[in-house]
Amino acid sequence: MTKEPGNESADDLEQLAGEYVLGTLSAEQQDAVLKRLDSDRALRDAVDAWEQRLLGLNALATPLPPSPRLWQRINRSLGDRPARPSWWRRLGLWQGLAGAGLATSLLLALALLTAHPPVTTYLVVLVAPATQAPGWVVQARDAGQVQLIPLVKSEVPGDKVLQFWTKGEQWPEPISLGLIKPGEQVTVPLQRLPAVEPNQLFELTLENAGGSASGRPTGPVQFIGRAVKVL
Amino acid sequence: MRIGPTLNLPTTPFDYERCLQACARGDRGALQALYDQEGARLLGVAWRIARDHATAEDIVHDAFIRIWTRAASFDPARGSARGWVYSLTRHLALNFVRDTRREVVIDDVAMVDIAPYHDDMTLQADAPRIHRCLDQLDTAPRKCILHAYVDGCSHAEIARLLDTPLGTVKSWIKRSLKALRECMG
Repeated sequence: MTKEPGNESADDLEQLAGEYVLGTLSAEQQDAVLKRLDSDRALRDAVDAWEQRLLGLNALATPLPPSPRLWQRINRSLGDRPARPSWWRRLGLWQGLAGAGLATSLLLALALLTAHPPVTTYLVVLVAPATQAPGWVVQARDAGQVQLIPLVKSEVPGDKVLQFWTKGEQWPEPISLGLIKPGEQVTVPLQRLPAVEPNQLFELTLENAGGSASGRPTGPVQFIGRAVKVL
Repeated sequence: MRIGPTLNLPTTPFDYERCLQACARGDRGALQALYDQEGARLLGVAWRIARDHATAEDIVHDAFIRIWTRAASFDPARGSARGWVYSLTRHLALNFVRDTRREVVIDDVAMVDIAPYHDDMTLQADAPRIHRCLDQLDTAPRKCILHAYVDGCSHAEIARLLDTPLGTVKSWIKRSLKALRECMG
């Protein structure tokens, strides 16, 4: 590693990148690599490849429970703004999606076996997060609308309503598709929303009468699923 | 149709990339979800290098501040989002031991920790490729790689640990990296 930076052979560049990721470079060498990473594409690619190769070795470090104060410290350092509840924190949401995936494949298998395949382009099975029982199916036949079809009669307390939401992967936040009566099949116009895309999230939440006042889902998720392209 | 828990459904994997996107948009809940998901593992990684619980927590603290402020700079074309989080934390820990000349001498305890890797991890059919490729190295060069990556040891520390001349350690590491690259592509 005595050669001029940028003039190494491919082998030397790989060695430099490997030792950078391994952590065995001296402080000076480490700084020199860091400075080059912004402008030296070949070195950066080599470093990225080594990071990926060696990543699995982190599994050898036994996890240690952080003290309860650590998250509070991090949160304090970032300022006092409270963490707002988001999609990420929804209990059951991620488990629910696993069930939705399986339910969707079952439905797709069924669709393949029927003589007249429907013209549906996207299909979503909405499942209950807790039990993973399918409750609704969403079909998107064309860009302008989706159909919401009940599979079961859902029970909703008298002072509550079901609100229908969707969120594409790149959207900053979910958008309401309106209030839904339990057990009723409806066609929902998508209006100005973009066409349904793969993996787009659909969910039904339980909200107070009149729907969520904040314009974002606030009540518990009743049914949830992701769009799968059928044809 | 009812999908019960008896089917052993795989849990949906945590979506690290979306999590970083949410952090970049200022969603503190996403950062906390990442902390809940990876905090203990990252603390384990930091501790192996720092060998001190309070220091390791400082490193994880700094790592999460950095994840939050730099989430927007994460580029999926350069590697996985989870890898980005681990690399960032490891390099903070490595910088720390480089800056402070770690007081605690890594001793044979570290070697004992590495030993189970052989029995538990490489025999699994789905063991990551790195472990299978490491297995093809001789014992001493393999220990060099593990002490460097997992324990954050310098060449000199490894030489002392393995009671081997510094030059030998350097050339073992060099040859091991070449072999790993050939094995893993």
